[in-house]
Amino acid sequence: MSRNCLKITALILSIVLLVSFLLTSCSGGKTLTIMGKKSDMEKSYMTAVFKLYEEKTGNKIKVVSIEDVEFEATASQNIANGDVPDILMHFNNSDLHRFDVEKNFYYLNDEKWVSELTDSAKAYCLDSQGNLIGFPFWESSVSGCYYNKTLLDSLGLEPATTQAEFDTLCQTLADMGQTPICWAQDGCTWMAQFGLDPVFADEPELLEKLNNNEIKYSDIPQVRNMAAWIEKAADNGWFGTNYLKTGWSDISPALSSGKAVMTFIWDTWFYTDFEKDGKYTVDDFAVMPVFFNTVEGGTYEGGNLNMMMLNKNGDKLELAREFLEFCAEPENYNAAFDGISTVKCFNRETANIQSKMVTDAAASIAERERVSTAASKIVGYSAEDVASALENLLRKKTDAAGCVKIMDSLRTEEAKKQGAEAFK
Amino acid sequence: MLKKRIKNILPLFLISAAVIAAVIIAVVYFNFISHRIYDDSTKQLKEIYGQVNRTFSSFVQRNWGMLDGCDEYMAAVGSDDETVFEYIDSKKQYWNFSQAYFIDDDKSYITLDGKKGEMLLEEEWDSLANKKEAVIAGEKLANGQEITVFARPVSKGKYKGSDYSYLAVSYNNAELSSSLNVNAFSGEAKCFVLRTDGSVLLSTYEGGSVFGNFFTYLKAGSDLSEESLNDIRDDWKNSAEGLLQCKIGGESYCILYQPVGYKHYLLLSAVPQSAVSEGLVYIQQITFDVLVVVFLLAGIAILTLVILRNRKQTRKNRLELQYRDILFNVLSNSVDDIFMMLDAHDQHVDYISPNIERLIGVNAEEARSNIKVLEACTLNYNGVIPKEELEAIPINSSRYWEYEYMHQTTGERRWYRMTVYHMRVQDDIKYVIVMSDRTVEQQMNQKLQEALDAAKSANEAKSNFLSNMSHDIRTPMNAIVGFSTLLEKDASDAQKVREYTHKIMASSHHLLSLINDVLDMSKIESGKTSLNIDCFSLPAILEELNIILLPQAKAKEQSFTIRVQGAPPEQILGDKLRLNQILINLLSNAIKYTPEGGKIEFIISELPRTSDQYTKLRFSVCDNGIGMSEEFQKQVFNPFSREINSVTNKIQGTGLGMAITKNLVDLMGGVISVESELGKGSTFTVELTFSLPDSDAKQEEWIRQNVNKMLIADDEEEVCLSIREMMKDTGVGVSYVTDGESAVKEAVRAHNSGDGYKVILLDWKMPGSDGVKTARMIREQLGMDIPILVLTSYDWSDIEQEAREAGINAFMSKPFFVSTFWQIIRPLFVSEQSEEKEADASAFEGVMNGRLFLVAEDNELNSEILTELLDMEGAKCDVAVNGLKAVEMFLNSEPGRYDMILMDVQMPVMNGYEATRQIRESDHPEAKTIPIVAMTANTFAEDKRNAIDAGMDGHLAKPVNMDKVRELVGEILSKRKPQDNGEGENEQ
Repeated sequence: MSRNCLKITALILSIVLLVSFLLTSCSGGKTLTIMGKKSDMEKSYMTAVFKLYEEKTGNKIKVVSIEDVEFEATASQNIANGDVPDILMHFNNSDLHRFDVEKNFYYLNDEKWVSELTDSAKAYCLDSQGNLIGFPFWESSVSGCYYNKTLLDSLGLEPATTQAEFDTLCQTLADMGQTPICWAQDGCTWMAQFGLDPVFADEPELLEKLNNNEIKYSDIPQVRNMAAWIEKAADNGWFGTNYLKTGWSDISPALSSGKAVMTFIWDTWFYTDFEKDGKYTVDDFAVMPVFFNTVEGGTYEGGNLNMMMLNKNGDKLELAREFLEFCAEPENYNAAFDGISTVKCFNRETANIQSKMVTDAAASIAERERVSTAASKIVGYSAEDVASALENLLRKKTDAAGCVKIMDSLRTEEAKKQGAEAFK
Repeated sequence: MLKKRIKNILPLFLISAAVIAAVIIAVVYFNFISHRIYDDSTKQLKEIYGQVNRTFSSFVQRNWGMLDGCDEYMAAVGSDDETVFEYIDSKKQYWNFSQAYFIDDDKSYITLDGKKGEMLLEEEWDSLANKKEAVIAGEKLANGQEITVFARPVSKGKYKGSDYSYLAVSYNNAELSSSLNVNAFSGEAKCFVLRTDGSVLLSTYEGGSVFGNFFTYLKAGSDLSEESLNDIRDDWKNSAEGLLQCKIGGESYCILYQPVGYKHYLLLSAVPQSAVSEGLVYIQQITFDVLVVVFLLAGIAILTLVILRNRKQTRKNRLELQYRDILFNVLSNSVDDIFMMLDAHDQHVDYISPNIERLIGVNAEEARSNIKVLEACTLNYNGVIPKEELEAIPINSSRYWEYEYMHQTTGERRWYRMTVYHMRVQDDIKYVIVMSDRTVEQQMNQKLQEALDAAKSANEAKSNFLSNMSHDIRTPMNAIVGFSTLLEKDASDAQKVREYTHKIMASSHHLLSLINDVLDMSKIESGKTSLNIDCFSLPAILEELNIILLPQAKAKEQSFTIRVQGAPPEQILGDKLRLNQILINLLSNAIKYTPEGGKIEFIISELPRTSDQYTKLRFSVCDNGIGMSEEFQKQVFNPFSREINSVTNKIQGTGLGMAITKNLVDLMGGVISVESELGKGSTFTVELTFSLPDSDAKQEEWIRQNVNKMLIADDEEEVCLSIREMMKDTGVGVSYVTDGESAVKEAVRAHNSGDGYKVILLDWKMPGSDGVKTARMIREQLGMDIPILVLTSYDWSDIEQEAREAGINAFMSKPFFVSTFWQIIRPLFVSEQSEEKEADASAFEGVMNGRLFLVAEDNELNSEILTELLDMEGAKCDVAVNGLKAVEMFLNSEPGRYDMILMDVQMPVMNGYEATRQIRESDHPEAKTIPIVAMTANTFAEDKRNAIDAGMDGHLAKPVNMDKVRELVGEILSKRKPQDNGEGENEQ
């Protein structure tokens, strides 16, 4: 290539860069790149807050949406390649280990808005070291034992407040010909994790030992109790008779028709998936703690929140921190969540709609709610693996102890697959 | 029938009745026990919960009292917080309540230890606040803990800065429940304190707080009717006591409610029926177990009895069946009937009696598997009766067939009547077949038929016979009468008289032989013939036959040869006369029915012996005469049968000869057969068995005559060996040489050694020196002492003179017979005795001369003839016309008048036998000694025996043969002579 050609090329590129610079300067703002699942990014409160931010600050939000099914692989690969967005939207769950949080993302422990978070929201966003790794900006819900209060009243029965009462309630309902619990073994893998949450939320040292591969589930009495209780419940008919084939789509008909009295679910489900034309409506339901014989008073699980995580090594960290401060402003988050049925993440969140079920049980929830711990904090945890172990138990292929051993085995395998240090 | 049926079902009825009775008793017993135990249990339930109620009421009252005491104390000491705290805390320690609350009118409270909160007390608040009543309420604290609160209005005051109008103490429900809990009923009892509307104030067991309203719970979950529920509701409103039973969730509960004694609260206990009736269940279980065991034992006992009885019955039945089988098998084996049962559908054999193997030679199992095996056994049908014929037999009817079967092993044929019964056996159609042996009947029928045929034939033969006899008798009679007439006419012409007399005699002899034959036949057929068994010589018989028949044969220029094959015994025991008669009949027939120039051969042979005591001889008479047709051969032995043809018509005969011969052979236990071909000749064969005499006697004879050694010279060594073999039993040592010179040398050598031969037997024709020449040489050297015989097959008459001159003592024709040999040489040793005997034989000449006979003869002609004949012999006679007359004449006669009585047997008035007996029994001096001789036409052995038995001395056959009369008289009188002499001497 001749010298003249090189000069011409350099001149053209300089012109292009100059034009670009000028165009950018003319728009009057900065651009933040935020990456997340396509469906997450399309949530109304997300688009609302992006729009609000851009309107108020003049900065731009560049949304990088990745198809849901490809998200984990694509995002983790990009970050592994050093292509870290300014802001990453991700749940605080076991998949997060792919993103090397400590290396790539900024701890938010000292941000001004931290006190604005509800305890449960804050607790959800902590890593195992107690560092706040994300800013929760998401609709939330309370998972518990939702029951048909109208039906229960008609039977002269009260909700349970203890494990003993819950067992008595289940047995009494079963004696009266009712199906006490709608247990959806076919695909609804979340149920058992409600029982595990308080075990590890209440005793973090157990979680630590478990993650350090120092102990196994089978070393933990509560886990063994849970498996034994599930086996007993099935044997006593507390799950009815068709629980092995009951799936996600079967829960709503069972509850709305009164065929089942209770199920383990979250409140927002009643507004998104519950049949509205059934014998019973959402107003007939209430919530009480979930009892899995792991904790005497039962438990509620707090919401699983999508967090905004900031690129600690990017040049727009400060801009990103400013964006989070913008979102943590009551005016802004109330504007964003206006009319959204959710449990609040922010103490001054008022524009959202909270279910009456949760409101009525507020005192109980406040006392017994645990953050979703099992799914997010246990290394190698897989809801599917736990469900698979329970499948063996409920199909009488193994007993409770065998079930726990299967859980251990599957978790160890998964942890090794994830490359967890303690399991190498 | 009805009784039997009742007897059959009676045991079943009794067992059923016993079972039903036992069940009823068990049910009644259960009901009684159930009611009794239930009553006791409910009574116990009431007592227990009455006690619980009293405990709870006391507890409530105690709290009211304690709260009253606190109120009074706080009113008295004022509102000093510390004093109040110490006082109430001391009460807390004592009464063991969990917390004390100072409650203000706005429901806010402050606890004894200063914690604040809100006491809701629900609907009880109104009673407390407005009605100023002491209340008991359930309360759920913020931490979920459930407590029972006892609260009452107190004097207004202030504790730790907080106003209060009510004082309350609380008990943890779990702890409070322990005071109400009941360990009875296996811990399954649940106890609640209810308000009158059913809402649960507290429960006594863990988890019981889920029951919000028990009435609602009962309404929703129990099987109580609306009416019952209304009653309960009324009871509860009225604080009434009650006990009810209901089902909740499939389980029966006893629910007892009673007022607590505070306000309208109720104490309700719900106890599972199973817990209440635990004792009942236990007793029921025990009773059930006992009953099960009893029934089981009874059942086992009954079953055992039934099995034993069945086994006994089965054994008995089996035994009976075996007995029946054995009996039936024995029966069927002992009878000649075969039993079988066939299935009508496929003709499968259900049963077949085992004697089928014995009777038909077919294996029973083989026949059972395939009835068609009988096909091979049948002779006149295909073995199996066609199915359509069987099906044609109506049910419960029978039909029979008769068939002949052949035994498959022995070939024996038997006739069976196959009677088929078509019958229904239970639900099956069967054919019961009885094969009855009808062989005897069949044979009898056959024999009857044959007898009938024979009778017809005999009748026909007799008719023919009569016809023939008419001719045959008339012919000689005609001659006799005719010539008698001529005799009368030409009595003066001696030549003609002799001619006529000769012809009359010939015709008379012919007529006599005819009559003898007829009588013989009649005698044999009537079974009156018996055999006179005595030892006789077979060679003698042959010689006699030769003497008798050879002239007849020569007269017809026929060749007559007697041949002896093998070495038949010479002396045999038998009836010589009958044997002679048989052989003469056969031989004379052969001569008679063989044309001139023909050939008759008589062959005697001994069949192989099976015993030393018997010999079986075969006599064959062969001729090349006219022969017989096959048809006639079948009846040649029948009486009165003669073949009618051109030849036989010319030959006189009665047709009885062969029948007599056959009967005689039968009588002697032999068989006779004939082989003949018309125009070619006939061969009659007779086989007879004879006893053999004791040979030792013969040996003794030889020894007695000192004949112990003999020499034979014959160029045929076989002849020498045969003779030596035949002489074995005689004890005579036999040496032989095969030429004349050797014979001379041996004879001389033996003589010189001092052990010379006693007899020398020389063959006539030998190479070198013949018999005559050899004899001459022996005589030259040894003299005349040793008897020398010549054995020859040739007629020796031409050389007899030369031979006797050469010193030969006698000739002997071949074949060699020991007896012949003995007879020939015996005279040479006992010549003196022979001479005496010849002298005796001639002594009877003239014995009749001068004798006087008493003749008893009813037939005048016969008596006249006899008188004339006696007269010819120089004897006289007195004639008595019957036996009685003879007796009288004898008794009236002087002793010695009559030399002999000739007594006809068959006479009117008195027969000869009776007359003889009377004579012998008479007192006439000669009654015992007078010779009496029977004269009768009855010439059989038994006739002679009868005569002897009657006391007679001899027997003469009619017509009288004077030679025999002379001989007999001579013998009798010669015997009588010494006696007479003796008597005479004695008398002297």
